[in-house]
Amino acid sequence: MSAADELRVVLAGAASGVDPGRLARRHGAPALLRATPSALERMGALPVLVDALRLARDADAAAYRRDLAARGISCVTVSEDAYPARLRELHDPPLALFTLGPGVSALAPSMRSAAIVGSRRAAEGGLRLAERLARAVAGSGGLVVSGLALGIDAAAHEGALAAGGPTIAVLGCGVDVPYPRRNRPVYRRIAESGLVVSEYPPGTPPAPWRFPARNRLIAALADVTVVVEARARSGALITADHALDLGRDVLAVPGSPGVAAAAGTNGLLKSGAGLIEGPEDLCGWLGLDAPAAPEPPDEERDSRLLAALSEGPAHPDALSQALGVGAGPVVAALTRLQMAGRVWPDGQGRWRAG
Amino acid sequence: MLAHAVSYWIRGVDARRIDVEAHVVPKTLPGFAVVGLADRAVQEARQRVLSGMVAASFEFPDDRVIVNLAPAREPKQGSGFDLAIALAVLAASGQAQSASVARVAAAAELGLDGRLRPVAGTLAMAEAAGRAGLQGLLVAPENAAEAVLAGAVPVIPAFDLYEAVQILAGRADPPPLPEQPPMSETEPGPGPDLSEVRGQAAARRVLEIAAAGWHNLLMVGPPGSGKTMLARRLPGIVPPLTPAERLEISRIQSVAGTLNGSCATTRPFRAPHHSASAAALVGGASLRPGEVTLAHRGVLFLDELPEFNRAALEALRLPLQDGEVLISRATGTVRLPAQSLVVAAMNPCPCGHLGDPRRDCRCPDQRVVAYRSRVSGPVADRFDLRVEVPRADAHGAAGEPSAAVATRVAAARELLDAARPALDPAADRLLADAVDRLALSARGRDRVQRVAGTIAALAAREQAGADDVAEALAYRLELSR
Repeated sequence: MSAADELRVVLAGAASGVDPGRLARRHGAPALLRATPSALERMGALPVLVDALRLARDADAAAYRRDLAARGISCVTVSEDAYPARLRELHDPPLALFTLGPGVSALAPSMRSAAIVGSRRAAEGGLRLAERLARAVAGSGGLVVSGLALGIDAAAHEGALAAGGPTIAVLGCGVDVPYPRRNRPVYRRIAESGLVVSEYPPGTPPAPWRFPARNRLIAALADVTVVVEARARSGALITADHALDLGRDVLAVPGSPGVAAAAGTNGLLKSGAGLIEGPEDLCGWLGLDAPAAPEPPDEERDSRLLAALSEGPAHPDALSQALGVGAGPVVAALTRLQMAGRVWPDGQGRWRAG
Repeated sequence: MLAHAVSYWIRGVDARRIDVEAHVVPKTLPGFAVVGLADRAVQEARQRVLSGMVAASFEFPDDRVIVNLAPAREPKQGSGFDLAIALAVLAASGQAQSASVARVAAAAELGLDGRLRPVAGTLAMAEAAGRAGLQGLLVAPENAAEAVLAGAVPVIPAFDLYEAVQILAGRADPPPLPEQPPMSETEPGPGPDLSEVRGQAAARRVLEIAAAGWHNLLMVGPPGSGKTMLARRLPGIVPPLTPAERLEISRIQSVAGTLNGSCATTRPFRAPHHSASAAALVGGASLRPGEVTLAHRGVLFLDELPEFNRAALEALRLPLQDGEVLISRATGTVRLPAQSLVVAAMNPCPCGHLGDPRRDCRCPDQRVVAYRSRVSGPVADRFDLRVEVPRADAHGAAGEPSAAVATRVAAARELLDAARPALDPAADRLLADAVDRLALSARGRDRVQRVAGTIAALAAREQAGADDVAEALAYRLELSR
């Protein structure tokens, strides 16, 4: 049976540390397992993989699945019907997909979904926006996909969880490995109410080269990919490239020109990415009902502040000068607006309107 | 024959009286012993006293000389007992009048030529001698000016041991005392002025609040943003020192040996390097005052706060809270005043460029987190005011001069001394709301309330309103959000 063979090949790959995906797609998993060592080497398999394949030939795939099931982990291989259709569009779909959590229905092709990705060290304003985008998507029935990394990824997952909607975290290690450690609480909540997925067998430790590879799954699982904040050469841009390869829409949040933290997203916009300023924009791209617009400000001072901030993040010094109001009242007003959820500090001394 | 003299030594910032007894025991083998838990410097006094007496044309007794420093159970340090020991020995051997020696206190080191050398802390000694009802304090000429500041006891400067004995016997007049204007009339010279700072509206505002309410302040900003410049201008906007405060500060500086003959007129500004040890910051080495005491009633500036030794910062916590340092050692316990205002500065990240729109920060995440976490928790909690100082704007508007700010600060302080403004109902609701939403600790709540009171006082309001609380909250949250 092909599915069992595919699982054996995946295990051989994990044991040897060599990705057998290319060989398996070309020759088929059963052929790989039956081939003689010399035939395998002619196919181009490295010696470690040859050994691992020989050892995996008789592995009990059914028992392995039962073991995983006992730990709440399911596994689906590329030849099975339950394999997510979206992943099949990749030119290199993973041989198998491991999942942890109850949110399997989120993998259905009918689900409108957005990948929300970005810098691991985003400013507070970027984090808030990622959270609000995710909240809006999840709150209006869509799916949020991201990579459980620090920064934007985590904020996106948080937003979706807060709205009580589904969210998928794609890991670059085994689904039972909560990495990075600081995101352990988010990981746990996703495992309880969403879905954690990975192409690597449970127990696979995180390795730097696996993370760019998992980005293709993030892009493939989503209808659109939103890059919230990215420097030049950010990993989030890899996800955007994969989305383009798949013919999916790439969207980006603009930043001030010349600001290093926005170089990546502004670059995307320059080459034609859709522009996202707020939740309404993203919901529009997904064809979801946009959430209600925020109430207009009621105080005159607050509205002047918000107007000043709408031109971009600003330090209280600049606001004080622009409005002709003392620094003290400006800081007081900003704090009250923050408590009302209208403005956010970016963690670097500036404030941003939300 | 027996005789006795009085001297003082400094423990912490207090002068402690020592009675020096000398006995020249007739018909014994010649010798010279000092007893009474004296440290090495005091033991060496024997050689200086012997040499000094002979150089000043006195005779050292041919019999056994025993000197006792009472109270004998208290360990003593320093070289300031030399003169008192010499006088006691001279009186005991009949070369000076016992009665006149016993009437005054003596605090000076002796040179081998009999000359009097200055010692630290004569201001505190003069005060103590005055309280003890003594009729004078004999000091080296270099110490005369600061001892006079106490205004407690006649100060008798003497050039050498011979002159000291002549003055005590009434055969010579002491050299004239340096002219000292009354303390209340000494005007402080102009310090660095706030008008030299361009832009920085938010930082100026926080500086003003810190000065009015004596709240500790933490500034975060890239290198060159003017954090040090701002901190140096803080003493200039705090109301001038009262005469009592000047004396208090002068006493500490006298002990530290940094008083230059005239009364301290400006508030101290101490900026210890970040390699300072816990003992250097809070005191303790040989029971001597640390930086936090040397900055008493002034500013203790800690630049590069995260680079400070963790133990040293932790040691600062209690003094910051209590306004005094309590040091207990095997040799005793001392209490040191420490009402300094701590102003700290740090970069936003190890390289300093995080958040700077014109420079790219290359610090890895973990290093930024580790850097910031060095001042997190209990230490950061002691800073009521935290502010982000952006890169200096050379084209920013020149600010108000220090004098104008100082007037507002003085008015606010008067109001705060009378009664701290309470929160009005709207302010109370806002604070309660903030406690819920922003997870403010009990201490945090209390501190926000105090800062809000200071802000209200600056605006001459008798009650703190919601905006005052909101502003106070902003400064508390600056780092944690």
